[in-house]
Amino acid sequence: MKGAEFLVKALEHEGVELIFGYPGGAIMPVYDALLDSKIRHILVRHEQAAALAADGYARATGKVGVCMATSGPGATNLVTGIANAYMDSVPMVAITGQVSTALMGTDAFQEVDIFGITMPVVKHSFLAKTAAELPRIVHEAFRIARSGRPGPVLIDLPKDIANTVAEYGFHEDATSEEIAEASKESITRAIAMMRESRNPVVYAGGGIGMANALEEFRTFIDKTRIPVVATLKGLGALPTTHELALGMMGMHGTKTANHAVQTCDLLICVGARFDDRATGRLNAFAPNAKVIHLDVDRAEVSKLRRADVPVIGNLRHALKALACKLPNIEPWRRECTTSKETHAWDYDAPGTEVYAPGFLKSLSDRAGDDSIVACDVGQHQMWVAQHFHFNRPSQHLSSGGLGTMGYGLPAAIGAQLAFPNACVINVSGDGSIMMNLQELATLRRYDLPVKIVLFDNRALGMVRQWQELFHDKRYSEVDLSDNPDFCRVAESMGIPAFRVEDRADVSGAIDRLLAEPGPVLAHVVIHQEANVWPIVGPGRSNSEMLHQHEVAREVAR
Amino acid sequence: MIRFTLQVRVKQSEGALVRILGVTRRRRFDLLHLTADTTEDGHFLDIQMTVRADRAENTLVRQIEKLEDVSQVEVVEPDEIGGERRAARSSAR
Repeated sequence: MKGAEFLVKALEHEGVELIFGYPGGAIMPVYDALLDSKIRHILVRHEQAAALAADGYARATGKVGVCMATSGPGATNLVTGIANAYMDSVPMVAITGQVSTALMGTDAFQEVDIFGITMPVVKHSFLAKTAAELPRIVHEAFRIARSGRPGPVLIDLPKDIANTVAEYGFHEDATSEEIAEASKESITRAIAMMRESRNPVVYAGGGIGMANALEEFRTFIDKTRIPVVATLKGLGALPTTHELALGMMGMHGTKTANHAVQTCDLLICVGARFDDRATGRLNAFAPNAKVIHLDVDRAEVSKLRRADVPVIGNLRHALKALACKLPNIEPWRRECTTSKETHAWDYDAPGTEVYAPGFLKSLSDRAGDDSIVACDVGQHQMWVAQHFHFNRPSQHLSSGGLGTMGYGLPAAIGAQLAFPNACVINVSGDGSIMMNLQELATLRRYDLPVKIVLFDNRALGMVRQWQELFHDKRYSEVDLSDNPDFCRVAESMGIPAFRVEDRADVSGAIDRLLAEPGPVLAHVVIHQEANVWPIVGPGRSNSEMLHQHEVAREVAR
Repeated sequence: MIRFTLQVRVKQSEGALVRILGVTRRRRFDLLHLTADTTEDGHFLDIQMTVRADRAENTLVRQIEKLEDVSQVEVVEPDEIGGERRAARSSAR
């Protein structure tokens, strides 16, 4: 057997069903071996989309996503997707072809040091030096990718190693490490602190979903009755409709969520990392709160905000151990839930143009809890986070840490392949869609029934919004008024498409979108100056939220 | 600015030293001094590095200790280091 066959056999042994990739010179031995494998290869049209699709697949399923590319440009094109997975702790194995060992270090054709290039954005990486070690490397890579705090792992495979004939050394190491339980002492201290608190808030992050701790988290909340604010990745940890779910915190968070955090006396951070988009100005974040920080990654605890009680280890165990009744917090809970009702979203916007938040709310109501939404990055991404209802975090695929425009369409492809019968929706913008537009061809090729909602404001909306609010309306390179006709672009790639311009047509458009058996694109025209509200300005505290009516008043003066 | 010295033991693997130096730079610690020796059995690299930063020691220690091939990290006094001490230290993995 050849090294390439070892690799494929080891991938089969890991239970890999799908590989997203793109062939080329140095990776050809693996593509040859794939012909005799039951693993399904999905040919994308750009390697970046292979990595992002593997990421979407991994987030939707909780399994390790696998992507593959050839050496040189194939490998460098994967980098954005690998970095995306790294920033959001997504389990991924990326396999790259490499020039033959003898050519490495000689600036050979399509040689690039992908091992070195990716070092800052991988959890670990391997360079295969013999064929015999390939099964071990593959199993190690999967173990590392999914253990503890998950992340991407790179395997760089020189062509001569892939072609070497050797004896297959079976190596079973597919089990992931058990995560140690948090110390009894930390649990005792945390419970004591919770019992003392009168105004506690739970700050829920992406770690809850990734630790598969949804059930334990919900039991913990139902028992303690502590109000919950969520990060972008934490949305869905508690269903949006749950009375204690106060919504997203941070730059585009709800008034209720940010106010609760800013006035709480105890912040219980569960699987989150005090990211600047969530905290606003750090030294003004939750200024009166003691902090209990639950995380699997010790390096995140006290990295940015000192934890009074670190609870490091298995989240499921810790949440179970911390679930206790807290009778003293009833008045606070009522205050928070009343505020949530008082400050509920208002979808009654002036004008007759399509109001994106209202469109998304209707879409969410109609698509239901089994739908999966993959978004791109920008204003529409924040509108999805604010207005879509999520019942579980794996329903919401969004590039949080890296903020990768072009993420949505490939991620939707990954999710749809994992769940062929699910309603998978890609919400995009006219800026983002162009970053991986070529993947419409992949949708057609595999006939994936992804529903694309393309909000078009003929601008790079989020940047335009910042220039309007924080750069004295000095608009620099945000005009996209020369966009192509997106319907014709989609149709040219075999995707039916239609245009929506009036608010009165929204209901019919959503019907049409959801009724279409195959892929479809709705080109939704919105006002160019539509902004995401509320917003916390850069460098500002989360106590200083700007609301639309306040800014409008300011302008009128 | 604080200044401290770390003693790190890492498995001899592709890019091991670069990986540790990369984390050090990315986390904004300036490298002031570095020595690295392979252990007698050839399986590990013992690194001693003195760094300077505005950030707490633990910021760097925690990031280095979670690297896959690192088996030991500790803050040491620079004069603590010696061949015998290193040889006596057992690997945690």
